[in-house]
Amino acid sequence: MKYFLKSLLKTIPVLFLITLIVFLLVRVTGDPVSLMLPETATAEERDSLRESLGFNEPLPVQYFTYLGNLVQGDFGDSFRYNTDALSLILERLPATLELAIASMVIAVIISVPLGILSAVKRNSFFDLFITGGAVLGKAMPNFWLGIMLILLLSVTFQVFPVSGRGTLWHLVLPALTLGTGIAAEMTRLIRSSMLEILGQDFIRTARSKGLGEAIIVNKHAFRNALIPVVTIMALQTSTLIGGTLITETVFAWPGLGQLLVQSVNLRDMAVVQAATFIIAIFVILSNLSADLIYRFLDPRIKYD
Amino acid sequence: MKKYVWTTVLGCGLVIAGCSSEDAGESGAGEPVETSDSKTLTIANGTDIVTFDIHDHNTTSTEAVHVNMFNYLLTNEGEEGFQSDLAESWENVDDRTWAFELREGVKFHNGEDLTAEDVKFTLERVANDDTLLEHGNYNQISEVNVIDDYSFEIVTENPEPALLNRLSRLGSSILPKDYIEEEGWEVFLEEPVGTGPYKLQEWRKDDRLVLEANEDYFGDEPKWEEVVFRSIPEDSTRVSELLTGGVDVAVNIPPTDVERIESTEGVTAVQSPTQRVMMMVLRTDEDSVTGDPKVREAIDLAIDKQAMVDSLLEGAGTVTRTRITPGNTGANEDLYGESLYDPERAKELLAEAGYADGVELTMSAPNGRYLKDRESAELMAAMLSEVGITINLEFLEWSAFAQRYQERSFEDIFYIGYGNSMFDASLGLERLTTESAEGETDYDNEKVNELLLEAEQNMNAEERIEQFQEAQELIAEDRPQIYTFQLDAITGINDRVEFEPRLNEMFYADSITLK
Repeated sequence: MKYFLKSLLKTIPVLFLITLIVFLLVRVTGDPVSLMLPETATAEERDSLRESLGFNEPLPVQYFTYLGNLVQGDFGDSFRYNTDALSLILERLPATLELAIASMVIAVIISVPLGILSAVKRNSFFDLFITGGAVLGKAMPNFWLGIMLILLLSVTFQVFPVSGRGTLWHLVLPALTLGTGIAAEMTRLIRSSMLEILGQDFIRTARSKGLGEAIIVNKHAFRNALIPVVTIMALQTSTLIGGTLITETVFAWPGLGQLLVQSVNLRDMAVVQAATFIIAIFVILSNLSADLIYRFLDPRIKYD
Repeated sequence: MKKYVWTTVLGCGLVIAGCSSEDAGESGAGEPVETSDSKTLTIANGTDIVTFDIHDHNTTSTEAVHVNMFNYLLTNEGEEGFQSDLAESWENVDDRTWAFELREGVKFHNGEDLTAEDVKFTLERVANDDTLLEHGNYNQISEVNVIDDYSFEIVTENPEPALLNRLSRLGSSILPKDYIEEEGWEVFLEEPVGTGPYKLQEWRKDDRLVLEANEDYFGDEPKWEEVVFRSIPEDSTRVSELLTGGVDVAVNIPPTDVERIESTEGVTAVQSPTQRVMMMVLRTDEDSVTGDPKVREAIDLAIDKQAMVDSLLEGAGTVTRTRITPGNTGANEDLYGESLYDPERAKELLAEAGYADGVELTMSAPNGRYLKDRESAELMAAMLSEVGITINLEFLEWSAFAQRYQERSFEDIFYIGYGNSMFDASLGLERLTTESAEGETDYDNEKVNELLLEAEQNMNAEERIEQFQEAQELIAEDRPQIYTFQLDAITGINDRVEFEPRLNEMFYADSITLK
């Protein structure tokens, strides 16, 4: 518990740094006013819009106003939607969580059997096929994979709907797109973790006791091999969020990722700042929970 | 342990199924829509609408949705002139006053009657509030005088010949005064109320906006039970939705996908002109190399615009020597559809200007703002190098480009595309008066300046058109701007519906009909 609280305290300066970096980045990369007005707008129109959005203040003043509001839970208003940024983000969060959980489920369904099989049948044709497939899965960019899946499974075979959010069918392709990369990584991890365990003394003992291979693999080896795997799963949060930015855009999935991409394009500062802040909290918390899960699964690990 | 993992997996699956089941029953996978006579019309846009505040956006794609929920006083039908919408009749009383009669018996979606007070409320809001994005297009209106429930007058600051153009475009939909004053803007933005043939059913941001028929609409009965505007940012996904019958109409089809659509049964791609004209803008002051008219002419003659349309746009554009294209008040159609190309003459002109050994110029262009902008600039630079003009290309991301544009700090040439939401030459040629050209092109042709300033306030419509047309002739000779082409929009359409895209890029759902 003490360790947990200590780690939580350590996140505060990190969050502070994140607000500063994001604040500066969205401002140095472009002027939202010129993106909001057409080419034909006059200089007066630009100035009055800039003033009404509060961009005429010096940067440090703007930053401290932003920080002051942030501490009170006010993330500012989106100028694209004219509503407060936090409620926009909370509105989108369920769609992204749905996609993230589904991708994780798909990753587990694919990687667990393949990882075990590939370790048990080490150096066989299966193993070669699976490890090769894992490299391929990891190497395929989400963007490309998403479009290919649409072309194959929606356009040519018309099995799944192309895009949007709605039924469970709508979830399959985006989740598959996002889950493949993670599955590939987890397959390799499970394989190497299993190989390590299978070579250990207690497995040899189990074998010499005359236990069946199925029991050895499933009960003794896999259980122990899972420890690093579960930890890695928790650490995949940042990969997942990075992936949703692209996957949601390809599949017109109305989640946080798409909101963030469009807000960045339009320099909708309040939303970009709020979204990155929320994402940062998510990533920090999941890293922390990875620590805790690891500790729970392997009581030998002690923290100071 | 294994048991826990699988229980978790199963649990997650159930949670997801639970989340999704509320929406179950929507369009499933792979239904053959070609034969469908569903009374739901689905349109795929590239972006979601921005807001329901009709005065606080300037996005064509947002307005394309709004026109189904709200009405203007009148509509601009190009060649056919202005047509009655909420206003039954109108007349120009004097240079600064216009009198209107409203249609009687029009009801807002909440049942309230439309009156002249609503018009006053709407137009004076945008005319007076300078924080609204559309303010600049309406601040010419000084007041709206209500005469009775159905009559009112609009008074302008100065003579405003383009008032009807302004009133038939983005920002001039009439809003319900009482509803907004009683409930407040926040409620209006969540539950907007208009007079249009369709009313809001649901808006899921960045996903879909669903409209349902307004049974009490004053005009013809709405043709669709439901109209769905989907937001699909990725081009190839939009095309795939069209190919599988997921949507009836898909906007902004990339030229490279046209063949794929045309070769699929049940869908077609149609090409239609837009208001956007691409152009090079050149400095004309004496200190610049491009200040010599011969150099500007040489640049024009060195570029084969038709080849650009054919190769880069795959035909989806029209060459032009004016920015005021057909469908706009004051268009000079003699300059439309033609371009000049004579590289030999270009070399001669350069030699006459004293650059027989070649000359070096800098051209700035945005990257990714307009269809094929980067490729266009590269191709033009290659064509110019053939006649001895070396172009240093400078590509800028749009917001950086916009900054330089605003500071007017480009070097010799910049490449840009202008739209014209007013459908009037005044907006299109505004930047070429002596005063507004300062620092950008520094274009200073006394005759052009005189013509443009006079036309700006000339209430004699015919004479005004002639003034604009003459100005365009002179501009085409002087070349402060060298026009490359007018961009076409490519729209994908399912064969079950009939639809002719409009020049103003609006989607009036009732102009899209079942075959």
